[in-house]
Amino acid sequence: MNGIAVTGVGQTTYRRRHADRSTGELMGAAATAAVADAGLGLADIGAFVLGVAPDALCGVNCPEKSSFFLPARRPVVRVNTGGTTGGAAFALAVTMVAAGQADHALALGLERMGQATTSQKVFNTIFDPIYEKDIALSTLSMAAIRATLLMQRYGYTREHWAAIAARNYRNAVANPYAQVRREISVREIEESKLLAWPVRLYEACPMSEGACAVVVSRRPPAEGAAWVRGLGSFTDTYSMGDRMHRAEGSLVDLLTLRRAAERAYAEAGLTGAADRLRVVEIHAPFSSAEAMAYPALGLCAPHDGPAFAERTLPRHARIRVNPSGGPQAANPVSTAALVRIAECANQVRGRAGAVQVDDAEWAVATCQGGANQFSMACVLSARPG
Amino acid sequence: MPLPRPVYIRAETVELSWADATRNLQELVFSAAHAALAGGGVPFAALDSVVLAAHDMVDGRSLSSMVTAPAAGAYLRDEVRLGEDGAAALAMATLRVAAGLSENCMVCAWGRASEGSPEAIAGALFDPFFARPLGMTEVAVSGLRASAALRERPRYGEARAAAAERRASAAAADGRAPAGGAAPPPAWPLRAGELPRWCDIVAALVLTSEPTAVRVGGVAMSSEPYWLGDRDLLGLPALREASAQALAAAGRTVRDVALFELDGLTLFDEALALEAVGGAGRGQGMTRIAGGAPFNECGGYALGYCAPAMGLVRAGEAARRLRERGDGVALASGGSTVAAQTQAAVVLEACP
Repeated sequence: MNGIAVTGVGQTTYRRRHADRSTGELMGAAATAAVADAGLGLADIGAFVLGVAPDALCGVNCPEKSSFFLPARRPVVRVNTGGTTGGAAFALAVTMVAAGQADHALALGLERMGQATTSQKVFNTIFDPIYEKDIALSTLSMAAIRATLLMQRYGYTREHWAAIAARNYRNAVANPYAQVRREISVREIEESKLLAWPVRLYEACPMSEGACAVVVSRRPPAEGAAWVRGLGSFTDTYSMGDRMHRAEGSLVDLLTLRRAAERAYAEAGLTGAADRLRVVEIHAPFSSAEAMAYPALGLCAPHDGPAFAERTLPRHARIRVNPSGGPQAANPVSTAALVRIAECANQVRGRAGAVQVDDAEWAVATCQGGANQFSMACVLSARPG
Repeated sequence: MPLPRPVYIRAETVELSWADATRNLQELVFSAAHAALAGGGVPFAALDSVVLAAHDMVDGRSLSSMVTAPAAGAYLRDEVRLGEDGAAALAMATLRVAAGLSENCMVCAWGRASEGSPEAIAGALFDPFFARPLGMTEVAVSGLRASAALRERPRYGEARAAAAERRASAAAADGRAPAGGAAPPPAWPLRAGELPRWCDIVAALVLTSEPTAVRVGGVAMSSEPYWLGDRDLLGLPALREASAQALAAAGRTVRDVALFELDGLTLFDEALALEAVGGAGRGQGMTRIAGGAPFNECGGYALGYCAPAMGLVRAGEAARRLRERGDGVALASGGSTVAAQTQAAVVLEACP
């Protein structure tokens, strides 16, 4: 990863539905903002990686193609890895730059799920049509199973899930791109509608549309660069039952994120991550799911998870988890992973505006997708290494 | 751009079938991936990354890589799935190995035309307001290309029957075409023998940084605008540019190419692709195919077709033939949605 950095970040605001903007306009807005932030124009970008997840959500197969806004005659690649899509787009942009195919590559994530009449039905088609439909497995019930396991095995309580959610909403108030920009109290969260026990409405993410773009550059000037110091990516087995009692790590131990983080830290030469990281952006659409990442990232031992969660709650906690508000502030599915990387990049660049964390020399972003089957970790630093 | 370090193909497999009720998609993918590993003598443990190419709507479920990635060897490995043609996956995998991000990479692409209606899936690719109401499909765009080619390239009309006969003969001689594969409804002026034979196809290649009998000399990708009116439908500029850049990256010219394996949905797409990469002069593509040019020697579209596997099928066929011959340079390509809007080209070289 030597000499590769994020040099530009662009985002649209995230909303339940962008009724006033076409898909091409959303992509174009994020892309032009990112290249402008990098001091470039679209013509300077040598390769484009577009991240779009389930086509069925917006009712168009390969919507990025029919909404093409890019200069012709450039390499354009579309990636689709579910929730990790934005992170995968970023990794491929890094690959193209690392292989010398472009001095600047643009990773762009797009989400248009507001066009779907029934997003949960679309999401349910990720599960096995023969064996899993009968048990009403959905993204919600899947999160509920994990939350219950975390409570049973490690001592989390329903109060933890509400407190984590409240912290994320509080952080999101300062994030100009967030969809949910109001503080929601622990009590309000605890009294919100029960979705699937123990998960409540305000412990879940909203449905969001929007786009995020990141410019990845080779050997850029140090000014304004967030250096990509480490990337790790791992894929798990599909069947969640196979992960329940696995010796290497159970369903809630996020073995793939642990390995991804270990690889990313090793590449970055980052030892003692728990002591050196100031910013962590965790891709978790449910507050309970966030807790699975703490030990996987080496921030605490699994049984210390509840205590670690409590230490992240104060406004000026030493490790700031989701200073942007995380996916509870906005969860444009195929973009949310890239947003985590973009937010971390802006933190180490010192350009995070109202959500800036002091002394953010190191930051780590996580990406989760496909029923937590896919994991990525990305380590960014203010220094090139 | 030249690759920063050499990349080789250890093994390749292309498996064709039609509506095999005894195997689900995961089993089809596993079969090809396993065959590629076994054929190359590569232990599963040696793989460190996987790059896939697939379309959810072709597979019939959202995020189909949840079930197909492990089948392709991705369990506890670095894996990514492109929504592009398999040639683009091969290009990205090559760049991963070339950049030192992987040492042994599985590339796998598939399409199962027997599971759904390729025409309905293709129709959903088009803009819902301005193009879909016209009944546009990928084959319909090929029909527009063919119509323009017949007008602009007089020899296409003269040679099309002989060229179609040669494609059919090659596919028959190859012998792998599964029984039962359907053909799409015709789109004027395309004729039955010029249309693809829908098929269930899985292609798997294993890339490595260690020298083997086939090297990836260069890769490149390019793109075109979406709207058909903004495109040069006959000139295929994205393919022309991608192939030129891939050849340049390999330090080759088209004159060095002994075998062309180019993705084309129909006979006319194949002929125009051959022209675009310089394998035939302007207006000569159909005549060259009719005359037996070293081009898609297994029969191309006539053997079996399903997006988005075809670019990797073409590269796999090229690698196999180079390995058998022990000599030569091949150019392979794959076009992706919408109607070859994005293109990837790969130059393969036999290493004596």
